[in-house]
Amino acid sequence: MKQFTYTITDPVGVHARPAGLLVKAAKGLDSTVTVSKSDGKSAAATKLMALMGLGIKSGETVTITVEGGSEDANAAAVQQFFAENL
Amino acid sequence: MKDKIFGVLQRVGRSFMLPIALLPVAGLLLGIGSSFTNQTMLETYGLTGVIYEGGILYTVLDIMNQCGSAVFNNLALLFAMGVAIGMAKKEKEVAALSGAIAYLVMNTAISAMITARGGVEAMAANTTTSTLGITTLQMGVFGGIIVGLGVAALHNRFYKTQLPQVLSFFGGTRFVPIVCTAVFVVVGIVMFFLWPVVQMGIAALGDLVIRSGYAGTWIYGLLERALIPFGLHHVFYMPFWQTAVGGTAVIDGVTVQGAQNIFFAELASKSTQVFSVEATRFMAGKFPFMIFGLPGAALAMYKTAKPEKRKVAGGLLISAALTAMLTGITEPLEFTFLFVAPLMYAVHCVYAGLSYMLMHLFNVGVGMTFSGGVIDLTLFGILQGNGKTHWIWIPIVGAVYFVVYYFTFYFMITRMNLKTPGREEDGEETKLFTRSDFKAKTGVGPDGSTPAAGGSDPVSALILKGLGGKGNLSDVDCCATRLRITVLDPDKVSDTLLKQSGASGVIHKGNGVQVVYGPQVAVIKSNLEDFMDSPASDRLDSTALPTAAPAAKPAQHKTGAVLAAHMDGTVIPMAEVQDDAFSACILGQGAAIEPAEGKLYAPADAEVDNLFDTHHAIGLVTPGGVEILLHIGINTVELGGKHFTAHVQAGQKVKQGDLLISFDLDAIKAAGYLCTTPMIICNTDEYQSVAPTARGRIQAGAPLLEIKG
Repeated sequence: MKQFTYTITDPVGVHARPAGLLVKAAKGLDSTVTVSKSDGKSAAATKLMALMGLGIKSGETVTITVEGGSEDANAAAVQQFFAENL
Repeated sequence: MKDKIFGVLQRVGRSFMLPIALLPVAGLLLGIGSSFTNQTMLETYGLTGVIYEGGILYTVLDIMNQCGSAVFNNLALLFAMGVAIGMAKKEKEVAALSGAIAYLVMNTAISAMITARGGVEAMAANTTTSTLGITTLQMGVFGGIIVGLGVAALHNRFYKTQLPQVLSFFGGTRFVPIVCTAVFVVVGIVMFFLWPVVQMGIAALGDLVIRSGYAGTWIYGLLERALIPFGLHHVFYMPFWQTAVGGTAVIDGVTVQGAQNIFFAELASKSTQVFSVEATRFMAGKFPFMIFGLPGAALAMYKTAKPEKRKVAGGLLISAALTAMLTGITEPLEFTFLFVAPLMYAVHCVYAGLSYMLMHLFNVGVGMTFSGGVIDLTLFGILQGNGKTHWIWIPIVGAVYFVVYYFTFYFMITRMNLKTPGREEDGEETKLFTRSDFKAKTGVGPDGSTPAAGGSDPVSALILKGLGGKGNLSDVDCCATRLRITVLDPDKVSDTLLKQSGASGVIHKGNGVQVVYGPQVAVIKSNLEDFMDSPASDRLDSTALPTAAPAAKPAQHKTGAVLAAHMDGTVIPMAEVQDDAFSACILGQGAAIEPAEGKLYAPADAEVDNLFDTHHAIGLVTPGGVEILLHIGINTVELGGKHFTAHVQAGQKVKQGDLLISFDLDAIKAAGYLCTTPMIICNTDEYQSVAPTARGRIQAGAPLLEIKG
């Protein structure tokens, strides 16, 4: 299991477009990717509805967990995705 | 490693063939045109009454002359593009475009540097030239080859490059000309400093070859022949023919580099008295052994064939010998004995070198377009007149060569019992060997590469299978976000398989199928084409598809549903929504409405799963599990909730037709945002299909979206 935290810099937070892109990216990986908020709520990165339901805002710090499959590579890919899109 | 270098050199050699294939025609134009506009020649043959300056015939011949010259004058550009095409692995047309651009860019950069450093006067004498109207360094065909190789390397490295989403329009093949332009600006600047040093080196090397005299000519001829089996001879002789290695001359005030260029400049010049043998020594040697020597060898092979096989062997040998005689294409004949008797080929190389040396000794000034057959001998030797070319030595030496080749080969074949055509043991088929036989024997693939383990591309395999297999495709293309395919039988296309491959939607129009992947589609198309070229694509049906991709897991189908229109307004297909994320269906399939009134209604009985703080979007889940996202407007998240009023809250159960959100249509439009409102099924991939059932004007509550379980 790999874990890292990320502080959202996108001014409008995790809204439809970036969430959609994340879902698409996460579906392409062979690991389970979970996004958790500091209040304990979490969602699978492949579930668009759940992800948007978290209502993550700009400046908020989230914890991303990558489990199973080629974790190292996938974690790096997810981290890069966050840095580029969120 | 050795194989790899060999493979690359092999491809370099072969990539020269496209521009080279043009040379015979250009040479024909130049040869005929210049011969019959040459004043000395016209006077010699007493043709001045028929062909005279200003006359129609003269003008036509002069046009031929100049058009032929145009090809030779712009060889560097042809090589830049030709080599790029030859060396590019895929998408060759992009490499060609990039080659042309890079060539122009490089020369323009050099030109600007020359101007900045004080203009042509500040450069060493004879080091500059004008190419395509650009004043640049005299780089000969080398300049073109550098561009061709560089562009091909960049192309092969970048033609599949994916750029970040925002820039993805410039990704894939479109990135190649861009990166080539940038790189060759730098190459041009570097060349400005580097090339003068190389120019000195090449000139020195050429000096050495020229000063090594007759022995140098012999070694040149021997090596040129010895490299033919490997297809590497073009790499070797090209510098002599096309660059300062083969000599530099000033003809009619123009500096010309390379043996062939010097010959053709002399041919085009009306003041040439005698062709300079310093140039033709790298060419004329081909005539005696190609027109006379090799046919002698063919006769020896015919005579030594078994009587009952003589007829079959004779047919093969005569056609091969005729090809060599007429066009100077000798491979068909040479590969016949190279393969069964390498020693005979070695002797042939030594004789060939001697032929070059003898022509040099006898001052024979006959050039050629690409090889030494009767056609070239006629145009560039006989027609030019013996006074200018001393061509008469070619048949004289040739007669001797015919006899020498005949007896040498006859002797070797009978004494060593070599299995030339018609001498095989019974049961073996009489045939001419080809280069691929040679490669097969030496274990090098046709590309000089070891056979690739094709078929390691599960996504492309899935796409191809989803499209009904390779046989079902008649055309594959792509636009900004979609793969556009023309299929023979639309019924064979499986939307499910295509969606498993990562497609967000499939659109059918008769025999046309559009598979929506988003901006990375250019890369997907390249991969698919690669895959279709691999043998694995033909075995699709018998091969179990790898199901490693998580998206390929069997979709668990749920019960279907029909959703009602969420607004009053006009239905807009998703693909036409002015936003990539929606139109490419990254979020899922659905339908959009351009609202006539600022009210959003529930499309079905459902629970509000989430309501964005900005109130511009709402997520609903039906009891059947359909996840619906309603998104009012494009980029309206930026309004931060202004102009939106929510009438429900998260967790609340709603009935179809309940008012969810009201918004100020005019204010949002005035703020510069579109109000197009997509209804998206977030879990599209859990269903067989999601498709709109209505179009045009629609009332809220009317059926809009059919979801099939």
